[in-house]
Amino acid sequence: MSSYFFTHFALHTIGTLGGGLSDFPWLSVSILFPIGSAFLIPFFPDNGEGKQVRWFALSVALITFLVTVGSYINGFDINNENVQLKESINWLPKLGLTWSVGADGISMPLILLTSFITALAVLAAWPVKFKPKLFFFLILIMDGGQIAVFAVQDMLLFFLSWELELLPVYLLLAIWGGKNRQYAATKFIIYTAGSSIFILLAALAMGFYGTEVPNFEFSHLANQDFGQNFQILCYIALLVAFGVKLPIVPLHTWLPDAHGEATAPVHMLLAGILLKMGGYALLRFNAQLLPIAHAQFSPLLIVLGVVNIIYAALTSFAQRNLKRKIAYSSISHMGFVLIGIGSFSSLGTSGAMLQMVSHGLIGASLFFLVGATYDRTKTLKLDEMGGVGQKMRIMFALWTACSLASLALPGMSGFVSELMVFTGFVTDEVYTLPFRVIMASLAAIGVILTPIYLLSMLREIFFGKENPKLTEDKNLIDAEPREVYIIACLLIPIIGIGLYPRLVTESYLATVNNLVDRDLNAVKSLPKTNVFAGNKSNQILKAPTI
Amino acid sequence: MPQASEIAWLIPVFPLIGAVLSGLGLICANKKINNSREIVSISLLSLVGVSAVFSYKTLIEQIDGYQSVEKLFVWASAGDFTIPMGFVLDPLGSVMLTLVTTITLLVMIYSHGYMAHDKGYVRFFTYLALFSSSMMGLIISPNLLEIYVFWELVGMCSYLLVGFWYDRDGAANAAQKAFVVNRVGDFGLLLGILGLFWATKSFDFNEIAIGVSQSVSENSLPVWAALLLCFLVFLGPMAKSAQFPLHVWLPDAMEGPTPISALIHAATMVAAGIFLVARLQPLYSLFPSIQFIIALVGTITCFLGASIALTQMDLKKGLAYSTVSQLGYMMLAMGCGAPVAGIFHLITHACFKAMLFLGSGSVIHAMEEVVGHQPVLAQDMRLMGGLRKKMPFTSITFLIGCVAISGIPPLAGFWSKDEILGNAFISFPAFWFVGLLTAGMTAFYMFRLYFLTFEGDFRGENKELQKELLLASEINIEEEEHEEEHGSLHESPWSMTFPLVFLAVPSVIIGFMGFPWDSKFANLLDPEEALIALESFELQEFLPLAIASVFIASIGITIAYQAYFAKKINLSKLFAQRFPSVNKFLSNKWYLDDINEKLFVKGSRKLAKEVLEVDSKVVDGVVNLTGLVTLGSGEGLKYFETGRAQFYALIVFGGVILLVAIFGFQSPQVT
Repeated sequence: MSSYFFTHFALHTIGTLGGGLSDFPWLSVSILFPIGSAFLIPFFPDNGEGKQVRWFALSVALITFLVTVGSYINGFDINNENVQLKESINWLPKLGLTWSVGADGISMPLILLTSFITALAVLAAWPVKFKPKLFFFLILIMDGGQIAVFAVQDMLLFFLSWELELLPVYLLLAIWGGKNRQYAATKFIIYTAGSSIFILLAALAMGFYGTEVPNFEFSHLANQDFGQNFQILCYIALLVAFGVKLPIVPLHTWLPDAHGEATAPVHMLLAGILLKMGGYALLRFNAQLLPIAHAQFSPLLIVLGVVNIIYAALTSFAQRNLKRKIAYSSISHMGFVLIGIGSFSSLGTSGAMLQMVSHGLIGASLFFLVGATYDRTKTLKLDEMGGVGQKMRIMFALWTACSLASLALPGMSGFVSELMVFTGFVTDEVYTLPFRVIMASLAAIGVILTPIYLLSMLREIFFGKENPKLTEDKNLIDAEPREVYIIACLLIPIIGIGLYPRLVTESYLATVNNLVDRDLNAVKSLPKTNVFAGNKSNQILKAPTI
Repeated sequence: MPQASEIAWLIPVFPLIGAVLSGLGLICANKKINNSREIVSISLLSLVGVSAVFSYKTLIEQIDGYQSVEKLFVWASAGDFTIPMGFVLDPLGSVMLTLVTTITLLVMIYSHGYMAHDKGYVRFFTYLALFSSSMMGLIISPNLLEIYVFWELVGMCSYLLVGFWYDRDGAANAAQKAFVVNRVGDFGLLLGILGLFWATKSFDFNEIAIGVSQSVSENSLPVWAALLLCFLVFLGPMAKSAQFPLHVWLPDAMEGPTPISALIHAATMVAAGIFLVARLQPLYSLFPSIQFIIALVGTITCFLGASIALTQMDLKKGLAYSTVSQLGYMMLAMGCGAPVAGIFHLITHACFKAMLFLGSGSVIHAMEEVVGHQPVLAQDMRLMGGLRKKMPFTSITFLIGCVAISGIPPLAGFWSKDEILGNAFISFPAFWFVGLLTAGMTAFYMFRLYFLTFEGDFRGENKELQKELLLASEINIEEEEHEEEHGSLHESPWSMTFPLVFLAVPSVIIGFMGFPWDSKFANLLDPEEALIALESFELQEFLPLAIASVFIASIGITIAYQAYFAKKINLSKLFAQRFPSVNKFLSNKWYLDDINEKLFVKGSRKLAKEVLEVDSKVVDGVVNLTGLVTLGSGEGLKYFETGRAQFYALIVFGGVILLVAIFGFQSPQVT
């Protein structure tokens, strides 16, 4: 890597340390620290069990978490809707590439979520005995890569971070996965790598739009006046790319395979953070940079969201494999993110953001529990389980709590976010009444379907007479303190948000309001249709310029 | 000291603190806390006790004319929207709080005896405290949204408590059924709340009513839409208060421990639906057609519950269907625009039905000593009989309960039920007639329960009958063959008889609060309405209706006496054999469970399976067909197994880094 860049960076760091905490390059540190530390792992003495490595990885992940918390406390003003904590270094001027990081309301909560979930995932990876050095190396690289995805303010850099995060996931799947890991990993890499080509194409198109010297900075792109057709083309490309990640039905089939084969800590990261990259990118690019196309596509987003909710809930109900069941439930929950993003109301969009944070916590907790249960039962097939509630009472309690959180029980975060999405969408006058009524009613069917598959899952695992085949197994011990601790760490914010959602929503409200205003202006230019309630002021669209 | 009404939000907080602490204790220090079970139960009991003291104080303040208190704060906001939360305390709330805390306390005392030998004693008390907290929260909710929050929480507690004995399949299924059926109602409730919020920009009960009537009169909200929204909201109470056709969960919920059946599934939670309809009276009274639907649903439910209860052989199921029927009466009152009468019946019913359920628990507790812990045996009345001599307190209080629910003056049930019937007579005469008929059926089936259980000779030692019953319920007998040490019948300990005796008092006298000519109860809840009722009261109108209902109740009791005590009438010959189809229809519970099972349970399973097929064959099939993945999974697999793929992936990764590094030597500039 560029030595000059690093030297400069180091000087910059030292220089700003004297200048006070607010100038400290918080975000660059939180990206580069875990990645840099990962490269120290090969020099650790190897005893094959990874006892030192895991402590090292845990402390690195924790420090990263503290750095992100520090950035939130010291450098982030929740009332400011603009990008803050900005650092910009002209990296590759020839390519138009800038090391430009920063955070606004929609990236900050996700950055915190990432470092938080990663720290817990490291703790969850305690029992990993197979190639522990490589495992923790990849996890730390992922940590930095994912924070970078949320923090970078340059579209080319965004593409690079997106790719950077992809490889560790591939390797983590292919080396530590279950029986079908090769198939799952290949499917994952083909899907995501294939779709990320669309990001690159869109990024290049947008960066070169209307200028001689390419400029990929978000702030530059946001002020560009893209033509309508250009916006639509870019929008489609990005929707496919991010739709794979979120995932949007029918681009989802990599997910059950990948989730079905991943080990618990990787699983937590996949569900907790990776899916959020899709939602975040949809907000950041599709909704923020391409408002005119967004206005035209958002009815589609709503329909796709409803399809996600119902389709995935039904498939989850029929699934007999525990991991796949929860994987499909993740897809179902992501439907609310889509509806929120397409809602044109700040309440709905806030709800989509909160749903991402909330599902990050709930999904991670459920997937962790799946892993912990598998360690004991050695099977994921629901038909082979049953009645283990009597041997594993605490485990049963944790499962029940997390399942109730997942089915959006009031008092937990999932309820608030789904409610905000519903309320935002229903009260929003942009769409016509029949469209809103039909979509809201269909989405609300999820309210019935979710408890059906989650509670019948609980019943099949824990309730009923003890299954003699399982109870013969001496492995059926109750939850250990480490596991209770991890779930407690996840449940505390879940319940905290559920009781007082403004803890989180306040941090991005300003940004979301700003974003929605922009989109609303765009939607006003649209003519009245079956879906849209009609134009309030008839702006003349600029002629397509591509 | 501030007025208790001002700090009413503390009332649900006390039991909540207790529940959280003992819940944490259960997870972190399971053995320790299970060993000190008495300390836990006494502390939880005293926390609920503190809430009860507060509740009584608020009730006294409200009777003294202290104003209603409402306090709000902003819970969530975005854009122009704010969602407020807070608490409200008015006469209705204080009455309900008093009722809930009192019955919770009694049930907790009772549970100390009933659950004494259960491994989950501490867990049970924790759930109880959690439930009481949520129920109190529901009562003091100032708006629809907050009601919805606690609505779901009491539903969750019900789920946890019905499935308390989770090693029993019946309990596991019933818990899930209860939650899912309630969610069907919540689906409507949620949509209704959202729709009303869209129409009125408010979640507040009164503001919604004002907003809806304004928009309807201004034609900005079509009448059909307003009706639809009202009906959607009504779906919630229909499920929670077990109204036809969403009542199917309540009888199954009897799989839970009996104290729970008394507290949640008779006295408090199932009344939440009635309570919500009462809160929404300002809205519902705008639309006579909605009132009619509510009254119709109530009437159907009340008749259906009573008719099914006629043939039940399971003591608890009989009482459960009786609860369904009584909830129907309350709903009928709501539909007649007489919420005060409905709430009055809610309170009297809570007292005597809780007592009846606790009494049945006492009977089951005694029966288990003889026939073992198999619910099919311990709860079947064919094995009971003659228990009066062994269990004096239980039988006397049960008898009081039967007289009260049958509507014999001067006990509580007479006054409240008669007020409902009187209101129905004015509003919907046809519904009055069905209600009257049901009153006769109620008297019959309640005394049938009493005579079969407490009079005659004890039949519990009959081994052949036991085997037959087990066979009929398709339970593996061999598994149950192990001989337990059977004891003999005896009266339950004081902790179980005390709540019975305590509840007998209001079951007898609480009706005096609601004389139609001088209703202290109506005075408290709705003074204006009470004044009107007082002025329009005429003895000539009251007496014929009262005599009619007492008369039909006496007929019911007489038939039950002749059939089950004096054995002079053989009902099975007289009725069951002559009309086998009717009998079958009733004992199969109007086939509603079968329809439910076939249509919804199997239907949804089938649909889900088909969608999964589509997902794995069609959607994923297309993906695999593209050949990219088949390459990797088929021939290419060997290629991956050698690890070369990872190697190539690393090369790609390294390539990107190298590229960046090469470009990186270009001089960077700080911007």
